[in-house]
Amino acid sequence: MSGLPIVGFVGLSAALLAVGIFGILTRRNFILLLIAIEIAMNAGILNFVYFAAYTGGTAGLTGQAIAVVLVGFAATEVAVGLAIVLALNRLRGSINVAEATELRR
Amino acid sequence: MILEELAFLALAVVALATALLALLVRELVHTILWIAVFFVDLSAIYFLLEAPFLGVLQLGVYAGAVTVLLLFGIMVTRKRIFSREATTGIGAVPLALALVTFIFVIASVGEFSAGATVHAYDPTYLSQNLFNVNGPWLLLLGLIMLGAVGGAIYLVREGRE
Amino acid sequence: MDVASFAGPFLPEILLLAGTLLVFLLDVVRVRRNEVVGAVTVLGMALALLFVLADLGFAPIAGLATISSGGIDTVPSGTPLYAVTSLGLVFQAIFLLAGLLVALASLSRPSRERGAPIFFGLLSLATLGMLLVAIASDLIFLLLSIEITSIATYLLVAYTRRDARSMEAAMKMYIIGALSTTLSFFGASLLYGAYGTTNLYAIRAVAGTGGYPVLVLLGYGFLIVGLAFKATLVPFHAWAVDVYDGAPTDVTAFLAGGSKKVGLFAFFLVFLGPVLLARTAPSGGPFTNGAVALGPVLQVTLSVLAVVTMTVGNVLALLQKEMKRMLAYSSISQAGYMLIGVAIGTAPALAGATLQMFAHVFMKGAAFLLVAGVAAWGVGPLIEDWRGLGTRRPLTAVAFALMLLSLAGVPLTIGFVSKFVLFSAAVQAQGYFVWLAVAGLLNSALSVFYYARVLKVIFFEAPAPRSEPLGVVAGASEPEVLPAGGFGYGRATAIALAVIVIVAVGVYPQPVLGAIQAAAQQFVSLGP
Repeated sequence: MSGLPIVGFVGLSAALLAVGIFGILTRRNFILLLIAIEIAMNAGILNFVYFAAYTGGTAGLTGQAIAVVLVGFAATEVAVGLAIVLALNRLRGSINVAEATELRR
Repeated sequence: MILEELAFLALAVVALATALLALLVRELVHTILWIAVFFVDLSAIYFLLEAPFLGVLQLGVYAGAVTVLLLFGIMVTRKRIFSREATTGIGAVPLALALVTFIFVIASVGEFSAGATVHAYDPTYLSQNLFNVNGPWLLLLGLIMLGAVGGAIYLVREGRE
Repeated sequence: MDVASFAGPFLPEILLLAGTLLVFLLDVVRVRRNEVVGAVTVLGMALALLFVLADLGFAPIAGLATISSGGIDTVPSGTPLYAVTSLGLVFQAIFLLAGLLVALASLSRPSRERGAPIFFGLLSLATLGMLLVAIASDLIFLLLSIEITSIATYLLVAYTRRDARSMEAAMKMYIIGALSTTLSFFGASLLYGAYGTTNLYAIRAVAGTGGYPVLVLLGYGFLIVGLAFKATLVPFHAWAVDVYDGAPTDVTAFLAGGSKKVGLFAFFLVFLGPVLLARTAPSGGPFTNGAVALGPVLQVTLSVLAVVTMTVGNVLALLQKEMKRMLAYSSISQAGYMLIGVAIGTAPALAGATLQMFAHVFMKGAAFLLVAGVAAWGVGPLIEDWRGLGTRRPLTAVAFALMLLSLAGVPLTIGFVSKFVLFSAAVQAQGYFVWLAVAGLLNSALSVFYYARVLKVIFFEAPAPRSEPLGVVAGASEPEVLPAGGFGYGRATAIALAVIVIVAVGVYPQPVLGAIQAAAQQFVSLGP
């Protein structure tokens, strides 16, 4: 079909992963952390999709199937994260990760 | 051909910009807006990659459900939903780590042949793959969701304590 | 046995799933007593263990086997998502024993314990995920199974939802866990891009001929980092101590004794193939185009990780003042010993690492369960708070001493046998692996210091004086009185079981060791 250069996709997913890791390491609000994790996760999913598209055949379909499963998994993960946030917020009144210091000494 | 390349370039730039903006803006509600644009943008990329089923899934699950879930999370945990986050520093070490990751992954670019083309798929075959050959993946996903639902309901349920 | 043969290799998993669903159902109809839901879980796990042992060919119950003998240890044709190996079955038994110990001990919590249904339901589900990891033959199947365990354990840590400390531990574990998952899946996507498949046996077969050396190295690199978080290897260990410290102690026992071994077994599945290639074709390396030799690079990386993990874990354990944190760091250092097995990649080394993990369930898992029981008596979290336990509760103190001695690797305990097998395998493997054995021995010597310090506090220091300074004059030097009563039947049974295994296998290791060695031999010969 089309002749999109694969180089562009590799670059995009690498950049998204880097942004996600950067976000996970620097952000302190739990919701922002969730978003950073999702960005990095999307980099992985994008990887599966473009490798599938360039592989073709049965092996390519497998890649798309993995991507479908991963989208569902990532949504589940966000839901669990939010449940933890809500429970913590009820205890603390804050969802700032840096304020959670009871275990540090 | 050149049209598609231009489209991809534009979409890639938007994806990167919205991802960064989502993490860097100080108002959390704006973050949600940017991340919604990011998800929609990725779904457009999937359409470009001849993966329409995944594009629709991305729109429904990510741009729809996950975005609303995150917005909901912000609304419940803040007294005033438009209040601002305190700025957090950027930090040299995280930036370096992110850059190193980027450079490592980008180093694999040289291994791909430039002439590779995108293959189109019939979604029928995708469903066969998903429900027949690789059916157990969906079962595992179901087990993950079982644990998540059970635990999450317990965590947020208001008990008489 | 028609139903059993229909379920085939999945009978244990189905039993655990039934246990989870039944417990959740009981919760809905408001049957929430700790003993009732606990008994359901224990029953499910015990039955599952029975069938796993039968499949392993354990003589007295071999008639119950649900897998025909041809179904075990054969390289699967095509690209199926799961394959039963004897080593996988051994690990299923290990995981089930870990779950069973924790479930047994938790039976003796107060019967009005809040969240008992969710605790036991998630415990079953987490164990179910671990069983699936043990039979995975596909990278995505493996990672998704690990996620079943991970998601269940995040929520297990949080099950005391009114306790700020454990909620905080759950939050930390969630963030790190999600990060590690993301990195693992990214690595898997790169391997998929390079090989066009995610089947581990297919990857094993072609690992030497791939044309994407950088992509493959990156893929394995991301997988190492992602799985190292799960297996608490240094430098990806920092979360583990806080989480082990903050989580409810019974859950900590499950995390340290059970779920972290999932990460280590994943190392077996993912990295053994390339490591074996390095062993069978030492010259030139697996990549014919000569860019980089994958196997040797992985071996060196894993060896360095192993040595760093045991050393840092042991040194930091020396500095701890709290019992749970000391045990947590010691647990990290033990992961280092286990990693040696994968780095070497010979059958004896794998057997040693497997035995080490088997032993660790009974040493560390039971030790945490004992700490939880002692804490329920009102003994504080510091090591010093345990002063004089040897005179006040001699049986408990002796059981704890046996566990610590076994962790240190004193002869006639299971810890000695596993370390002996592992280190002699390292020496046999020649080359720089001999230094792994040396590092392991030095670390064992180092670990003796902090275990001995705890034993000294327990047995040779006078009990703490009464906390009320204004007590009756005559009773001023009397020790603080511990409440009457022991651990309760469940916890006592679990600890007694662990002590029996520690001593029995330590004195007469042959049956267990023989089975594990045979399984490891089969597992290695499945390779390319």
